[in-house]
Amino acid sequence: MKRAIPVLVLTAVGLVPLWRYEPSTAASDDQVSAPARTVTPAPSASSSGGSGSSALVIEGSVVNTEKGHVQVEVTFEGDAISSVRMLQQPDHPQTTAAVPRLVEETLQAQSADIDTVSGATITSEGYKESLQAALDARDA
Amino acid sequence: MRRVEQVMGFPVSLRVDDERVPGAAVAAVFAWLHEADARFSPFRPDSEVCRLDRGETGPGEVSADLAEILALCEEYRVATGGAFDVRLPGRGLDPCAVVKGWSVQRAADLLRSAGVERFCLNAGGDVVTAGGPWRVGIRHPERADRICAVLDITDAAVATSACYERGAHILDARTGLPATGLLSVTIVAPTLTEADTTATAAFALGEEGVAWASARPGCEVFAVDSARRVLRTQRVPLAA
Repeated sequence: MKRAIPVLVLTAVGLVPLWRYEPSTAASDDQVSAPARTVTPAPSASSSGGSGSSALVIEGSVVNTEKGHVQVEVTFEGDAISSVRMLQQPDHPQTTAAVPRLVEETLQAQSADIDTVSGATITSEGYKESLQAALDARDA
Repeated sequence: MRRVEQVMGFPVSLRVDDERVPGAAVAAVFAWLHEADARFSPFRPDSEVCRLDRGETGPGEVSADLAEILALCEEYRVATGGAFDVRLPGRGLDPCAVVKGWSVQRAADLLRSAGVERFCLNAGGDVVTAGGPWRVGIRHPERADRICAVLDITDAAVATSACYERGAHILDARTGLPATGLLSVTIVAPTLTEADTTATAAFALGEEGVAWASARPGCEVFAVDSARRVLRTQRVPLAA
């Protein structure tokens, strides 16, 4: 456990940048509260049980960021972190988007019934050949 | 009704589906865009932007509109860690990337405040809609006659940044070199001010710009990287 606490602190502090995603010069404004963590030994719900190992659940310090309070709960299996859960997170739209979940797909070429086209700034030359020109002509 | 006019060097097309179309509001849209071009173009020596750049106007004397534009430029410069910058070394002040989205959004606001409920305003590939759903195609980055996705857009804006039309004209200000990590990036956002500037800034950032843009509040992303992979947010409103 003596090894676990520094790991926890590093983990909690390490997560803070995720909520402060926007590069900012205001870093010095952030304050980390006095370590008020609690240590709660708990029976392991997820361990396979045979070895008698138990999980250790630790609540991290409350960290004040410019987006609001952040507090994590870390579960250890032995010395390894088995899960990290948010206990407090800022009520800010950027919070949920801070770790973007991106979908990867293959590029497709299609033609479809559309009202308008979004594309990079269309020059007059480009416009003549563009789909938007066709759409404008169709409805003119 | 539909009206197409060349403004700021690109075609602007407006489609209004309301039964009663306020002609004065439509005229005001195009008049405002011409005014914005005259006032904020870096290519017109008598524009407010050029006069500020030459020092003929003091920083304290800029108009409220130009101050708003410059504040947006600074906001995005900071947010991109300097990749997006309208003041590149050796070049004049060029706030085009913000002016376009900002001025077209204001044009759309003129229509809304005149009571127009269902319109689609497309300015050189950047789109603001009211009502909907509108089916907005995303141009295929390598084929001008094809699209690579269709979005269902209601009361929102769509902007795409890419280098297929004007060559590698977007620079990563951190290096001064053309941004090459993405073939195109499309942003859906509540306003075109946000969508257009975020698209340009994400393109300047390159590959890391996809995650950066998807973390911006209210922004959904559809990007094509240089390996022709599509990277998109889960909630980008793809049409069925």
